[in-house]
Amino acid sequence: MPDFALRTLGDQLINGLVIGNIYALIAIGLALIFGVANLINFAHGSVYMVGAYVGWVAITWLGWPLLPTFVLVAVVCAGLGLAIERLGLRQLQNQARIAPLLATIGISFALDQLVQIVFSPNPHAFPSPLPATRIALGGVSIGLLDLLIAGITISAAALLFAFLRFTRLGWAVRATAQDREAAQQMGVDVDAVNALTFAIASVLGGIGGMLIGMYFTSVYPTMSYGAMIKGFVANLIGGLGNVPGAVVGGLLLGLIETMGVALLGSTYRNLFAFVILIGVLVVRPTGLFGVQRALPPEPLTGTFVPSSQPVRLPPWLVAAALVAAVLLPFISTDPYLLQIFTSAWLFAMLALSITLVTGVAGQISLGQAGFLAIGGYASALLSMRLGLPVELSLILGAILAAAIGTLLTWPVFRLRSQYVALATLGVGEVINQIVLTWEDLTNGPLGLSNIPPLSFFGLPITQNAPIYWAALALLVVSALFQWRLMRSHLGRTWRALRDDDVAARAFGVSPDRYKALAFIASGLVAGLSGAFTAHMYSYINNETFAATTSILGLTMVILGGMGNMAGAVVGAVALTALPELFRPLADARYLIYGLVLLLLVRFRPQGMLGTV
Amino acid sequence: MRSERLILGKSFRRDQRRLTFGVFIALALALSACALPSPPPAQRPAEQPAAPTNEPIYIGVSGPLTGPNARYGVQWKKGFDLALEAINGKGGVRGRRLEYIFEDSQSDPKQSVIVAQKFVADPRIVIELGDFSSPASMAASPIYQRAGLVQFGFTNSHPDFTKGGDYMWSNSATQEDLSPALAEFAYQTLGLKRLAVFYLNTDWGKATYDLFRKHAEKIGAEIVAAEAYLPDEKDFRSALVRARDADPDGLVLISYQADGAQIVQQVAAAGLKVPIVGASSLHSPDFIRLGGAAAEGVLIRGQFSPEDTRPIVKAFVDAYRAKYNEEPDFFAAHAYDTMNIVAALIEIAGPDRKAIRDAFTKIKDVPSVIYGSVTFDPVTRRVSKPQFVDLVVKNGKFVPWDGTLPNGRG
Repeated sequence: MPDFALRTLGDQLINGLVIGNIYALIAIGLALIFGVANLINFAHGSVYMVGAYVGWVAITWLGWPLLPTFVLVAVVCAGLGLAIERLGLRQLQNQARIAPLLATIGISFALDQLVQIVFSPNPHAFPSPLPATRIALGGVSIGLLDLLIAGITISAAALLFAFLRFTRLGWAVRATAQDREAAQQMGVDVDAVNALTFAIASVLGGIGGMLIGMYFTSVYPTMSYGAMIKGFVANLIGGLGNVPGAVVGGLLLGLIETMGVALLGSTYRNLFAFVILIGVLVVRPTGLFGVQRALPPEPLTGTFVPSSQPVRLPPWLVAAALVAAVLLPFISTDPYLLQIFTSAWLFAMLALSITLVTGVAGQISLGQAGFLAIGGYASALLSMRLGLPVELSLILGAILAAAIGTLLTWPVFRLRSQYVALATLGVGEVINQIVLTWEDLTNGPLGLSNIPPLSFFGLPITQNAPIYWAALALLVVSALFQWRLMRSHLGRTWRALRDDDVAARAFGVSPDRYKALAFIASGLVAGLSGAFTAHMYSYINNETFAATTSILGLTMVILGGMGNMAGAVVGAVALTALPELFRPLADARYLIYGLVLLLLVRFRPQGMLGTV
Repeated sequence: MRSERLILGKSFRRDQRRLTFGVFIALALALSACALPSPPPAQRPAEQPAAPTNEPIYIGVSGPLTGPNARYGVQWKKGFDLALEAINGKGGVRGRRLEYIFEDSQSDPKQSVIVAQKFVADPRIVIELGDFSSPASMAASPIYQRAGLVQFGFTNSHPDFTKGGDYMWSNSATQEDLSPALAEFAYQTLGLKRLAVFYLNTDWGKATYDLFRKHAEKIGAEIVAAEAYLPDEKDFRSALVRARDADPDGLVLISYQADGAQIVQQVAAAGLKVPIVGASSLHSPDFIRLGGAAAEGVLIRGQFSPEDTRPIVKAFVDAYRAKYNEEPDFFAAHAYDTMNIVAALIEIAGPDRKAIRDAFTKIKDVPSVIYGSVTFDPVTRRVSKPQFVDLVVKNGKFVPWDGTLPNGRG
């Protein structure tokens, strides 16, 4: 039945193009901001969500027609973009690159939470005001909304292109993107350009949000994260900071994803998105439209890793902190407190592992949750299926996490800076998907239950204080391991690679091997943390080590001060304890958390224990 | 570098200041963490029989109030509040008011274990309810089991949940009951032979689907398409086109409210015109609000009918409508039932953790919206045989199904 197959293909093409158009709208905004401000804007997804809510309020509450609603969404989002730039980011301009990035994470927390408090966490129906008629085109049918979405994306892209190409202001934007200092010297008001960029990007994002609200007929406060990730991926496929690339990347992503779903089913949507991403990056490391420039001399120039030096902690302070940590169970028997610190120590191991690859070796990893998952599953399965003692399975789990994780990260090694960050995010997501779909091994979404508890030479560890000490001991061992590595020849080679990989190469250092060693060392520590967690929880499934854990881990590292072991521990304690401290605030808990994050960044841009 | 610092005294001082500041923050955090509002130590009032009688009895609830699952926590609260109004209106339990302390866990195991320790250490808490998702609930189970505090997982259908220990109990209907009933509804009652199934790819959806398929194939139905989707999926168009091409005569949704509504909204655009049958979890005004006109005619094998004349259902439905000005909801009904069971437990056992555990086998035939009446099986620590009632969405409401396939579908 060729007609039948053709109709299916046509329908799927349209589905893919429509969702691709939305991805493109988000990606254009991210590309603009990245191009001009050299910043990955994590708040972009929240602007998109606000745009959807403004549109929903105007249409369903106020009964506005479509056109003025678009204007309203544009105005509100432009204002929001300006506010984010002016209030959240401008002061941080001359600070380490890391600071604005963290600030956007804080802003995004706050905005998401604010909308949730105002409009409730429930999704709201957003019926499209357009008639539901569908135009039949030789067996394939297109809805009016589909056409509207395509029309808006194409015209927005065309307008933006004309603006950048033919207007003086557009030239100023491009000049700033090419070379900020040079533009400034030529008399371009770079602050104004920055603000303008945020306004334009936010308008596009907001309108994208409103369109997606109509397309999916609902708005909900958590819509931002997924959209942002897809925007990043589209952007990377096209080439970071490249506007036509963003459009093509968005469309390609939409099409390929949809075809993936058509072939294998919905569960594989993200798997497809990330496999495509990694594939594109391996073939063309700067994206499809990126210019193949000569390798930049310093891989971390312009990335969000700051050149922060750790604050030198006096040894007595470290020793005192360690003694206090060891004695904590004697000072307080409150299991609540012990659990907070047990969790904090386990997260500190995650943060240590991230600070090793990211801060020391310069490979920004956003996929560290994948190592946790491999460690957790490996140790759980070894102890359950093969009956290995838990002490042994923990160690084997850590080794397997290092081995498998590094192997899966291999394609990422030839990438640099931001590309590494988002490609590792992809690797983390791929690991998560494998856990979900390899049911014979992992039991799929049903997960593994009755994982045996931790034990020490055959004695099960089930009381709070011993669990606490065990976690602390593993943290100390991991920290010593890392400290030793950092002071060795290997550590110096990593730093050489981080600071100048061209020079390192000239001295005969093979980057791939040393990157692999960094990921192995980091994977051991992360895998151990994941394995410990699995036995402590007794139940894990694919949601236990969700991708957001990776971002949380990186936030801890950035907050503590990059490349800084004490900072990683302090960051982990802070981000584990703060949400608990704010518990009495109920719903507003994460709003305040976001604001505190913002303030910390404002006053400690190099991280709490970092210094320039 | 170091000599520079010595020369540039100012920058050195600044560094020192920064150091002091960093240390200050670290210390402040450590101190504030120690000063967390920790409950009074467990030794003191727990065993004191002479608690003042005007002091309420507290129930701990661990569940999502922020984050992606926040909506379910909000529904729980509605059900709890309704039940407590009635219970406390009649003078409470053993002369004391019943109250709950809801701690937000975002349904995230990282936080649910911490919340568990908080409850365990708080001697006022006599029983714990929740969490929502299996990873969050079952990660906390060892803590509750060790401390001897009942974890009453009232939405935990995961087959292994109650195997976590003798302090894990659940009144959630299990897939062993739900799935065959749904299969029989689609195949035998509605006569749909070729089924396309959409299921949520979580522990709940997957377990439900596996048992559904097994039973459906046993009784003679054919599953022509099965689409698993992740909880954050919004775009079902291409999956629906796939299902359409398999030429089914019925669409089965093993979904929650928001995703179920999303699917029915997109069915028409994919050109699929068959009757839609859903699991009881769709039973919520949210499904209808979000599904709009597309939800009309959707059939479900639900667990309670809003028109039911049994006093417990009538009391629940009337009070719900009066208080929240909307139709009752599946998760709220579960929460309502649960609070009534808790009241019955405490009535027998008094505010004592272990006695409450033992009371599960003593309570008999507690009136329930979902089950009619509840008696726990001491071996599985669950309730079996929920009742079923077939409902259809008509004019924006779930009403008992009158036996005809709705117009325009089929």
